[in-house]
Formats: sequence, C-alpha cells, structure tokens
Amino acid sequence: MFGQRRSKRNIFALATLAAGALAVTALPAQAFNVHTTDGVTPTTIKLGITIPLTGSAAPGYSKIPAAMIAYFNYVNDNGGVNGRKIQLVVKDDAYLPTLAVAKTNELILKDKVFAVIGALGTANHIAVSKSVNLGRRGVPDLFLNTGFSGFADAKKYPTTFSLFPSYVMEAKIMGQYLKDKFPGKKLGLIYQADDFGTDALAGFKQAGTNFAVKVSYASGSQSAQTAAGWVSKLKAAGAEVVVMFGVTTASGAALATSAALGYKAQWILGSVGGDATTLKAVGVPAVVLTGAIGASFLPAPTDTSDPYVAFFQGINTKYNGGAVFDNNVLVAMNTAMMTVQALRAAGANPTQKGLVAALESKGSTFASAGLAPLNYAKGVHVGYNGYWFGSYNSSGELKPIGGDYSVYTTDSGAGAIAKSTYVRPALPANGLPTN
Amino acid sequence: MQQTKSKKIALLAAGALVSLAISAMPTAARAADPACATAGGVTSCQGATSDGAAYVMQVPANFNGVLMLYSHGYRYPVDIPAGIPVVGGYKVVKIAQQGPDAVVIGTLLKQGYGVAGSAFPIQGWNADAGVKSNVELIGLFRKQFPATTKVAAWGSSLGGFITQALAEKHPELVDAAAPMCPAIGSVEAELTMAGDVLWGMKTFFDPTIKAHNYSAGAAGYAEAMGDLVKVFTVLGKLQAGISSGAWPDSAGPAGTALASIPSRSALLMVGLMAGLPAQSSHFDATSGPGSANTAAYTSFALAASPALAVLENIANAAVLGVMATYDVEQQAGGAVFDNSKTDYSARVESDAAIFNAALSGSDAISGMLAFLNPANPAAPRWSADAAAVTKMRALASHTGKINVPTIALASVADPVTPAGNVQWLADRYAEQYAAQKAAALKEFRTTHEYTAPAKNFLAIWAPTPNTYTKFTATGAPDTTVPGANGTGHCNYTDAQMLAIANLVGTAAKTGVLKSGGPLTTLVRKAGGLSLDPKFRAPLLKFYGE
Repeated sequence: MFGQRRSKRNIFALATLAAGALAVTALPAQAFNVHTTDGVTPTTIKLGITIPLTGSAAPGYSKIPAAMIAYFNYVNDNGGVNGRKIQLVVKDDAYLPTLAVAKTNELILKDKVFAVIGALGTANHIAVSKSVNLGRRGVPDLFLNTGFSGFADAKKYPTTFSLFPSYVMEAKIMGQYLKDKFPGKKLGLIYQADDFGTDALAGFKQAGTNFAVKVSYASGSQSAQTAAGWVSKLKAAGAEVVVMFGVTTASGAALATSAALGYKAQWILGSVGGDATTLKAVGVPAVVLTGAIGASFLPAPTDTSDPYVAFFQGINTKYNGGAVFDNNVLVAMNTAMMTVQALRAAGANPTQKGLVAALESKGSTFASAGLAPLNYAKGVHVGYNGYWFGSYNSSGELKPIGGDYSVYTTDSGAGAIAKSTYVRPALPANGLPTN
Repeated sequence: MQQTKSKKIALLAAGALVSLAISAMPTAARAADPACATAGGVTSCQGATSDGAAYVMQVPANFNGVLMLYSHGYRYPVDIPAGIPVVGGYKVVKIAQQGPDAVVIGTLLKQGYGVAGSAFPIQGWNADAGVKSNVELIGLFRKQFPATTKVAAWGSSLGGFITQALAEKHPELVDAAAPMCPAIGSVEAELTMAGDVLWGMKTFFDPTIKAHNYSAGAAGYAEAMGDLVKVFTVLGKLQAGISSGAWPDSAGPAGTALASIPSRSALLMVGLMAGLPAQSSHFDATSGPGSANTAAYTSFALAASPALAVLENIANAAVLGVMATYDVEQQAGGAVFDNSKTDYSARVESDAAIFNAALSGSDAISGMLAFLNPANPAAPRWSADAAAVTKMRALASHTGKINVPTIALASVADPVTPAGNVQWLADRYAEQYAAQKAAALKEFRTTHEYTAPAKNFLAIWAPTPNTYTKFTATGAPDTTVPGANGTGHCNYTDAQMLAIANLVGTAAKTGVLKSGGPLTTLVRKAGGLSLDPKFRAPLLKFYGE
C-alpha cells in the first residue's frame, strides 16, 4: 500500500515475553507498565453523577449527591472498598438533555470516572445514551433514577442498570389498586406527555383501568395556570379519584390549585411526584396533601422502625449535616449502598466489564432497603419490580395503608400482579456490606 | 414561553461555502504553461488546466518537497440577483484557491510547503470535474517544481468530498488526505437532508415553496430564486413567532390543523426529521438568560433554544438546499429527491424523546407526525424522476476506502455537512481495518509472522462548549458574537486548520499518521478539537440510522 507503514510483531515473541514476565512477579508492580482502568487507582475509585442542582427539577433531586457522598464517606472511613476510597464527581445538568450529554462527556473524558451512577431523567438519559453511548464505551451506568421501561433493553443499553421499577409496572399495580379499592368511582388521570406518561398509559391499559378523563401536559409546561385547566377538565368529567402521574412540580401545582379552587377528589400520587418534603418545598401545605395516597418501593423515610431507614438516618446526621431526611435522601443512600456492593462484587481489581458482569450475576442478592425484590440477572438489567401504597398523614408522612407494607409485584408486559412474599436481606452489620 | 426574548437573528448564509478571494485568475487565460513570478521568496504561478480551471501554485524558497493541494467548497453555480435576502448579489467568478485562508496559506509557505488549488472548470456540484482538475494540477505542479516528492490533498466541504474521491481513485497521486467538514458518500445523501428540510418548510409553513422539480432554463432559475425569497421570508416570520408560537400567515393547512402547537415546535420537528443539529452558532440548547434557577432560564434553554438553533441552522442549510437541489436537478434533468416512502416518525423517534418538551409533548409530536403522514392530502410527498436519479447516482461518489493516511475533521454541530459524514467514513474504515486485521491473522496462521495493519484513518471532532449562548443586558440572545466552536459550516480557527495541515503534511512525508503524545499535544495546542475515538456522530438520515 502506498505510503503505509507495516509494523511487524511476532506473536510467538510476545508469548515468550509474557511467560518471562511470570518469573519476575516479585518485582514491584510499579516496575511494569500496568494497564489501568479509568477511575481506579490503588487507593481510589472515582464515580460520577449528573443531576439537576439548578433549574426546575433541583428541588428535592439536588439533595441526592450529598446523601450519596455521606454514605460513601462513611464507607471510606471504614476502609473503603478493598482498600480504595470512593470519590463521587458531581455535575449539574439542570435537567436539560443537551447539558446532561455535555456533563456526562466530561465525566468520562475529563474526569475519567469508572462508572456513572444514579443518572436522573428519562429524556436526559436517552440523550446521554444516544450521544455519549455509554454502552459502546463500556462505561457502567448503574442504578438509574428513572423508571422508563425502555432502559430495560439490555441489548440496546448493555451497561445500563435500572434501579426503580418501570413506570409501566407502577401503573399496572396502581390500576389494580384502583380496581380493588375504588370500584365504580369515576377516575381521572393527569400524566406527562412523554415517555414517562407513555409508560403510564401502557401500564394502565394492561391493568384494564378506564379513566373518565385523561389530561396530559407537556414537560415543563406545569404551572398554577396550566393546573387550573387540568382541574377544570377533571371537574367537568366528575372525576372522584385522580391519579397524578407526573413530576413533583406538576403534583404540587395540581394539589395546590385543586385546593384553591375547592375541587375535592381522592388523589393518588405516583412515586415520582409524591415526595412529601419536596411537595412542601414547592409550596404545597401539608393539609392539602393529607389523605392523598402514594406509592413507593422503599420504606417510608419517616419509618424509624425500619432498620435501613434508622441506619441511614444515622448516617444522615453524622455525615450529611442532618439534612431533612426524605425519600430523595433515602434513595440516594440506598443507591450508594448498592454501589458499594457492586464494586465489591467486581473484585479486588475491578474492571468496567467485570462490574457489569458482577451486577448480572450477583445483583439480585444485594442488601437493599427496597421492599420489592431486585431482579438483576444475565441480560436482565431491571432492579425493583414492586410497590406498596400508603396514605399521607397530617404531617406529610406516607404511612402504609393497613399498617404494614403490602408489596405487589409485576413486570412491564402482560404478566400478572401478585402480592410479594419477598424478604429482603438484612441490613449488613454496621451498614457495611461484606459481600 | 412569555419570557423568551425576541431578537432579530442575523440569518447566516452559507458563507463558508463561498470561497474566499485568495487569488484571482481570469478564466480566459488558458496558457499551457503558467505565468510565474517570484516575490518575497515565494514563487507564484497562475494558469489554467486543459478544461479551463484557473489554478494557483506557490512554492517557497525553502520548499520541503510536499505539495498541499487544496480543494475549495461549494460555490453557487449561478449569479444571485441583488434583491434576494442574505445571499443576493452573488456573482459567479471562477477564482482559484490554494488554501482555506490567507493566514493558513502564508503559514504553510513559511513552513516550506508548496500550495496549490484551482477554481475547477465549473461551479456548483462539480466533484467529477474537481477530481479531474486536481489530477491535472498535480502533474502541472510536479512539472513546474520537480523537487516535489509528496502530495497531501486537503479540502473543505465539497472540497473535502473531492479530496476523498481523489484519494480513492488516484492513490498513486496523493500520499495523504484531509477532508475537512466534508460531504462524504454521495450527493444523494446530502440532497436528502436538504430535501427533507425544504419539504418540511413547505409542508408546515409555506405550501407555495417549490423546492424540487425545478423547470429547465430561465424558468427554473426564477423558481429557485423565488424559493430563496420565500424560505428567508418564512424564517423571518418564524423568528418573530418564537415566543408567541404564532404560525406564519403563509402556513396554509398546517397552520390551521396544528394551530394549538407552537410554530417553534414544528420548526424544531423539521430540523430533527432532516437530521440538522439542535445546536447552532449562537444557540446551545443548554442555557437561558439570567439565573439558572428561574423559569425564564429553563424555558428558554429547554423550549426556545433548540428551536432557535434549528432556525439558525436552516438559514444556513436552506440556501445550499435550494441551490444544490436546483444545480443537481439541472445536471440530472429532473427531480432527484424522493420522500414518498420516508417514515418520518421512525426518523425522529429518539430525538422526539430527547426534545419532547421543546416539541410540546407527545400529543403535539403525534399531531405533527400525523399531519406529515403520506396519507394526508395536505402534505403531499415528492417523488423523484427515475432517469434523473440514475444520472445523479452516476456522479462521483465514495466507497469509503482509505488508501492513504487520512485525517477527517468535523464539527459536531455543522448544519450543512453534519458530522455524520465523517462518521460514515469512520464506519467504512472500521470495516476495512477489521478485514485487514482478519487477513493478517489468517496470514499468521501459515507464516507465523504477524504484521499488524497500519492505522490509516483518524477522525478529529470539533465539539461545542457546554454553554455558549450569550445574552444582552436585557436578556435577549446576542447573535452578534462569533459562532461557537463546533458550530457553523467549516467554522475553524487558523490554529485548527494548521493542525490538520501539520498532520496531513507530516503523514504525506512519513507515510504514517501521527499518534500518541505528539498527536495529543498537537491537537491540544490547536484548541477546541477532540480525538475521542469512541465518539459517534449520528449518520445522515439518508442512511436510516
């Protein structure tokens, strides 16, 4: 070929060299040009997260990184993971897809993180998956903070692992709950007109739920003004029970506007828009929330009888400055604990490929606060698959209806909805995984 | 969206496509031997090839033996009347161009390189003629300057297409190649993007736009000029309606059927279905005016900025779209764009999820796509003329084979030749390299000698900054500032172009691509470039990715 250099190497010679290397293993590792994995040094493991620290979604979600770091610091103070301290690089994506792409690129190319954890937002992460292509790069993408069912496609997203049950699962289970608890009532639905809402519609369809009125809103359009329009439609249709399947700012607008307009209905809040602390932060008085029904796959953050909650509350006090302990903090610390187990499962010399394999082979056994089972397996990258229902009391606490956590599980397809008999692993001693 | 500030955007012509007046040469001059003169230590020769292409050759006193053969970009094939917005007054003047700009040319000469380039015998889409002129020019240069030892071909936009075609067809004549912001593959791929934009603009915003199947002769010319006026007029109206969402009064059935959807969402839809970037020279789709925690900031970044980016990008792409469609149709003898079977819903599937908010939600997206459905008589699809398509496909195209060390440069938000062009070439090379590697391993099994194939292709990307939209004190977007890195068409700094010149010149001399530390250092010093080997730009929609 014209102008082309042909570099020759003898494979046999390389094999001989490799064999020779065995004889000098007593020499310090530093004497060799050892192949390194991005984000891993003998003393550290660097992880990354993009999350809205500013912008419309910052209330609530902005608490997540600090809570993760709090748990990681606790683990670091207790020896880290196989002697390595965990570092978390945090980037603000303002809940904007294009910025999420840019920030994730920074995490990978500039900060050279070992894995991305807890990425948040369906549109954001579709953009990241398309433009950054974590799968093609082999970068583990752990414990997504979104329930979009599309991320379950392990062929399309080979390094991505969801944590939350899918929105389809949530809607299916909620549909069954509506059928059981509110037979004959006129039902209304408010949903976000994107993949989040599309999943919800699919789940309710699977459950055979018939809504008298369905109101959609475009993401970002929620406000008191638009909420007045929703309420008007719900009122006109005579909806007695209303499912709010939207983000917290939409839930907040719907609840506050309904109260202001004197519209009384039984509200059922989806898990995304049902964090009481965040609802208060966006201006919803506790009294408006009282009596509403919510869904969750974690224990209530106020349930100090739960060993995981009690433990994480202690970490929150000591390592997180005593931040208000809400669902976001609980999710964050639970994610951090699962991350530690994933890193441990990847072995003493973790690789990105090894981390993905470890999650597939051992992820379903991880200790976690979740009350629904974890479903990770070869080719199965979906975490939890169930929900329980509770009612908000006058303090804004979500209390399980009937006094105990009755968890129902299902899948994102036509599978049945069943009451779960799952018993989660006990909290590791001192909250420090030993897997 | 009340917070969105309206500001007249400086609609940009595809200015970079119009070559710079580096050196003039009357087309009448067709001397067999060039006229040469030496001044300031540089010998400059001017002449014309046998087919009448004006050329310029320059060689410094310290000539290092390497010719840098430059191919310029697309030039409009016809004069454009002064009354046409933005591009009016353009005159066809065949000017030879031996480099991208005077600074780069001067620097290369100081470094000891010889430089040359021609005007090509015709303007417009002229890849076949361009390759032929370049072949002749290489011979003329070697004859005039016998100390020539190597030839590095490089070029911008259509010139990048010509450069790659030259390297594919005549590897015996060039030692290294560097297509910059190139069109790659085929003219059909490029015109598909242009056709999608124009069909979308017509269908949504002005049914009187013709945009394809132009008549022959003067009538077709008048139709094309009329389309330029209409496209820029409707872009102006869309710009005025960005905040309110109002549809242009020219919109026709779409304006009625989709009135509840902001026109900015329909504009963004046009860009996404054509494969235009949702970032432009002045709109980053990531930032807004004022504090990041305000609703105004978020709504601008989320909903207005992507639409404004597409508006600015269409202003660039539409000029080329109209002119190149007209040009190639005239060459081929009929309509060449065909969207009769295009599934726009499938095309925008992932982008619709990403830009859901800017597209006003799933219901609005469904409504727009339903309007674009082939079954809707208000959105008639276009069919191509089979004979014309055959003629178009006979024009120069690429196989993607890399015969010589090649460096390809692309901006990730280039609205005229999107980065997917370079990605297509990178994909072909990945296949080629895999085959070479397999062959080497097969050979190893018999000879026990492994010869690793040389890496002969390098893609360099110009990424956009995380945020770059500038705002005035009143919160309006400021479009008077220079376009951001990674945006615009062939919008490169001299340092970036000189880095590419260094790479291709060195590769021509040594036969290998620079790699490792020296490559990293060179690229870092140029600024605004990325070597990320795992970056993947979306292919042009023509390829169905």
